[in-house]
Amino acid sequence: MIPALSASAFFLIIVLNRVLGFAFPGSRVPSLVAPVISIGAMLAGFVLFWVVLVDLLQNGPGTFSIGWLTVGETEIQWGVMVDKLSVVMIGLVTFIALLVQVYSIGYMKGDPRFGWYFAAHALFAAAMLALVLADNLLFLYVAWELVGLGSYLLIGFWWEKRSAAQAAKKAFITTRIGDVGLLIGIILLFRATGSFDISTIFHVAASGGIGTVTLNTATALIFLGAMGKSAQFPFHVWLPAAMEGPTPVSALIHAATMVTAGVFLVARMLPLFELAPDVMMAVAITGLVTFVFAGTLALVMTDIKRVLAYSTISHLGLMMLSLGAGALAATLFHLVAHGVSKALLFLGAGSVMHGSDGETDARKMGGLRTKMPITAFTFVIGALGLAGLPPLAGFFSKDEILLGVWADLNPAFLVVALFGVFLSALYMARVVLLVFFGPLNPERKGAHESPPVMWVPLAILAVLALGVGFLAFNYTTDYQGFAGFMSPGHHFEVTGWLMGLSIAITLGAFTGAWLAYSRDTISHAALAQRFPLIYRVLVNKYYIDEAYQWVIDHVVLVIARLVALFDRVVINDTGVDGLAISIRLSAMRTRVIQTGYLYTYGTAMAFGVVGLALIWWIFLT
Amino acid sequence: MIELAHFQVLGAALFAIGLYGVLARRNAVLILMSIELMLSAVNINLIGYAAFVDFTEAQRALGQVLIIFVITIAAAELALAIAIILRLYRNRSTVNADEINLMKF
Repeated sequence: MIPALSASAFFLIIVLNRVLGFAFPGSRVPSLVAPVISIGAMLAGFVLFWVVLVDLLQNGPGTFSIGWLTVGETEIQWGVMVDKLSVVMIGLVTFIALLVQVYSIGYMKGDPRFGWYFAAHALFAAAMLALVLADNLLFLYVAWELVGLGSYLLIGFWWEKRSAAQAAKKAFITTRIGDVGLLIGIILLFRATGSFDISTIFHVAASGGIGTVTLNTATALIFLGAMGKSAQFPFHVWLPAAMEGPTPVSALIHAATMVTAGVFLVARMLPLFELAPDVMMAVAITGLVTFVFAGTLALVMTDIKRVLAYSTISHLGLMMLSLGAGALAATLFHLVAHGVSKALLFLGAGSVMHGSDGETDARKMGGLRTKMPITAFTFVIGALGLAGLPPLAGFFSKDEILLGVWADLNPAFLVVALFGVFLSALYMARVVLLVFFGPLNPERKGAHESPPVMWVPLAILAVLALGVGFLAFNYTTDYQGFAGFMSPGHHFEVTGWLMGLSIAITLGAFTGAWLAYSRDTISHAALAQRFPLIYRVLVNKYYIDEAYQWVIDHVVLVIARLVALFDRVVINDTGVDGLAISIRLSAMRTRVIQTGYLYTYGTAMAFGVVGLALIWWIFLT
Repeated sequence: MIELAHFQVLGAALFAIGLYGVLARRNAVLILMSIELMLSAVNINLIGYAAFVDFTEAQRALGQVLIIFVITIAAAELALAIAIILRLYRNRSTVNADEINLMKF
C-alpha cells in the first residue's frame, strides 16, 4: 500500500507533467504540481506508517501475499511482510523522504527538470519501501534493482555534466557487481529450499535442510550484494562519486533509501547468517575494516560532502560490524540514529552550499555561523549526534553496538572499533570547525541563510536527532528500550566503563580537533609534512580508484580484447562473412552455365524432357 | 488408305521441325511460329488417336473438344506473345533473341 502510493505518485507526476506542460506552457502550475503529489504520497505513507505500527503492536507481525507466477510446480508469491524490522525502516524512509522532498522544493527551485526530480524521488522511495516490505527474495530483488535504478537516475540528475553522468554509471556498475552475487545467492537458496519465501527459507535452514557449503556460499553471496549497496570496502568507491547528484539526493541516499538497503538485507537475512558463523565473521571484519578505513579518509577530505560521504561509509561499516556481532537491535537503532543525523548533516551541507554559491570546499569556508545561524546550529547537533556525544541518538546506538561487539567478538575488535569512534568524532569536529567557526572567510561575505522551506526540515531533523536517543531507555515494563522493542527479553543497560571510555574518546577527539584546526597548536600542515607518505596515501584514497583502474586496464580490458578478437576472427570473419563469401564464390562458378542464349535453355529443356521420358520408359514400364 | 501411323509420322515430323526452329532461330517471331508448329503437331497426334483408336463416341468427342481448346489457347498465347514482341521491338529495336539479355548477370 505504501510503496504503491509512492509509485503511483511517480507515474502521476510524469503524466501530469506532460499534460500540464502542454496545457499551460511556461506557467508555474506544473512546477508546483509535482512536489505536491510526491510529498502528498510521502505524507500519506508516513501516516500509514503509524497505522501499521499500531496494528503491529496490537496484532503482531503478519504477512499478506497474493499469487504472482506459477512456473511448473513452483508458485511465486508477491507479498508484504510487516514485522518490527520493516516497520522501523518504513518509518525512517517515509519520514526522511518526506523532509528531504520538502527541503528540495527550496533547493531545486528553478531547475528545468523540477518535476522529473520529484518523480524520480518518488520512484526511489517507492522502491525502497517495497524492498523493506518484501516477504520473498524474488520480490526483494526486483525492489533492490529498482533502488539501484532510482539512485542512477538521481545521481545522474544533472547528466549534462560529464562527471555526474559518469558518477551515476559508476554507482550503477559498482553496485551491479554485488547484485550479481545477490541474485546467485537467491538462486542457490531457491535450489536448496524450493522457495523464495523468506520465512520458509529460515524454517528450512533452521531444521538443517540446507547443506553447510550451500549455506555459506549463499550467505556470502548475499553479503556481496549488501557490500555493493552499502558501499563496504572495497565497493565503497561509488558513494563519494555519488556526490555529483543534488545534495538532497545525497541526504536521501545516505540516510534512508540506498545504502541502508544493504544493512537491511543482512538484518533481514540475519537468522540465515547466524547459521553460518564464518560468514558472520567475514561480515564483522568487513565492517570493521570499512569503519576505520573510511574514517581515516574522511579526515583528509576537503570537500564537505565528501567528508560526509566517507563518514557514511564508515558508519555503515560500524553497522555491518554490529550485524557481524549479531546485535540486530543495536544495528537498527544506529541505522535510525545515523539516518536522522546524516540526513540533517547533508541537508545542512546543502544549505551551506545554497548560501555560498555552490562552494563545497571546506577550506574556502569558515565563520559561517554568523551568516547562517540556523544551519550552523542544526549542523552542529547533527555532527555531535554522529560523533556520539550523550544524550544524542548516536551515542546510545554506538554504545549498544560496542557492547554487542564486546559481548560477541574478540576484544581486539572492540579496540579497533574504539579507534574508529575516535576518528569519527575527530572528522566531524574538523568539518564543523572549518566550516562554521574561526574568522569569516572573505570569499564568503555574501553567504546567507536559506529560506524557511529549507531550514524547517533542518530544525525538525535536529529536534529528532536530539530526541531519538531517548528511545534507548526503559520506560515501562512493556517498553524495555529499543533493544526490548526489537527483541523481547532484552533491555537497556548502562555499562559504566564502556560509556565512560567512549565519552572520553569522543571528548579527546574534540580536543584534538580543536587544537589542530581551531587553535593550530598542533599544526595539521606540519603533520602532513612530517608523514608525507601517510598523507599522500590518504589524500589519494589509498589508491583504491587507481587499483580499480589498473585492474580494468590490465585484466578486464585484456580479456575484453581477447573476446573481441575471437568475435572478429572466429565469429565474424569465418562464421558470418565466411559463409557469405563461400556462397558467393560458388555462385560465381556456377553462373557461367546461365549463358543468356535462348537455344541453350531450349536444348537443355528438350534433352531434359527426353531424359525424363527415357527414365519413365526404362524404369516404370 | 490413311492410317494412324501417317498421322503419327506427320505429327513427329512437324514437332521436330518446330523444335529445330525454336532452338536454331534467333528471330523471336520465327521462334513463335515454331512453337505454333509444335502445337499443331500435338493436335494432329490427338486427332489421329481420336479417329483411329477403338474408343466410344463420347471419348472421340472429347478428343476433338481437346483440340478446339488447344487451338483457342494457342491463339490467346499468340496474341500475348506478339504484343510482347512488339513492345520489345519498340524498346530495343530488335527481335533477336540473343540480344535480349537484360536479365542476365
